[in-house]
Amino acid sequence: MSDRALRAGVAVIALAGVAVAGYLTYVHYRPGALICTSGGGCETVQESSYAELFGVPVALFGLGAYLLVLALVVWDSEVARNLAAAVAVAGLTFAGYLVVLQAFVIDAWCVWCLVNDLAIVPALTALTVVRAMPPDDDQVIGT
Amino acid sequence: MPPVKQTAPPAPGSGSGRRNLVLAAGGAVLVVAAVVVASLVFGGDDSDATGTTVTAPTDGAALFEGIPQDRALLGSPDAPVTLIVFEDLQCPICQSFVEEGLPEIVEEYVRPGKARLRFAGLAFIGPDSEKALLHVVAAGAQGKLWQLADRLYASQGGENEGWVTDELLERLSAELGIDYAKLAGAADGQVALDQANAMATEAERREVPGTPWFYVQVGDGEPYEVRPGSFAIEEFREILDVALAG
Repeated sequence: MSDRALRAGVAVIALAGVAVAGYLTYVHYRPGALICTSGGGCETVQESSYAELFGVPVALFGLGAYLLVLALVVWDSEVARNLAAAVAVAGLTFAGYLVVLQAFVIDAWCVWCLVNDLAIVPALTALTVVRAMPPDDDQVIGT
Repeated sequence: MPPVKQTAPPAPGSGSGRRNLVLAAGGAVLVVAAVVVASLVFGGDDSDATGTTVTAPTDGAALFEGIPQDRALLGSPDAPVTLIVFEDLQCPICQSFVEEGLPEIVEEYVRPGKARLRFAGLAFIGPDSEKALLHVVAAGAQGKLWQLADRLYASQGGENEGWVTDELLERLSAELGIDYAKLAGAADGQVALDQANAMATEAERREVPGTPWFYVQVGDGEPYEVRPGSFAIEEFREILDVALAG
């Protein structure tokens, strides 16, 4: 896959992350936007004390991380690629922690959180890490 | 000229680049781990989020004391505005509404006769919702629908964990002055089922997406959907004052 395609893929996935994290941040600050649906769960997770970290909504951290990745995609240097991969790996670690919390501590599932934790973050991590990987030493050159 | 395998120039080569990537990713993981550990050490517990019973949000008996009730309706029949609340007795957000929004709405609008409330119960979360709803609707025959709903919210357990027990209903009935034998009989009867089904049909017709979900009805007019941004009384003042003025 070309770097251009990888760069576009990272941007698209980060934008999806901005949308999901933005929604979760919005409902955190506007509880009237929360409703129970037949899926259930989101309310319990969103109202949990684990929905905040040192008083800041977890979703807001996510939103910040996605915006940072987008900025790094725009910057587009070797340092930026490594930083984007580092942010994504950090996000993947934290997403894993959140999934464990939902499964074993809060005992409830939040659908949009799962979309973020199990789909968007892993995809973003894969693409940013592949993009940051330097080319192999051995190359076939010349014709 | 045939392709020739050669070694690429060392810079910006893969050795230092890969090392930088591993260092950056490893550092990021360590930072996250430190933050998580710190939050666990300094953060609070989460007893409210485990679905266990919480304390009573309001004193329902006192809140509704002296306010006329006609089955699902709470308030004066002459009130010009009706706030319709679609809710599921297992829904924790509905519980939040009952804790944070309902008391002041009752005191500012329902008790003075400016508005009345209509309970529109749904049971989409599961079996406990259905059992609770049928008993609450049945309590309407004894003029205690709102009191029993309030106390059930106060006793809310985890979703479909079987928390709506006969013992709970009997105890709450005793506290609220509800004849439990009549209540249990009515909850199993056709009238309560028809009323619950009518509420579900109305929700379907209005395409209610979840609970709590609100409508305002001015006089006998067609109810219109309203979306308070929170359950603070300021949000409902804005909604209800506009309806009263209109």
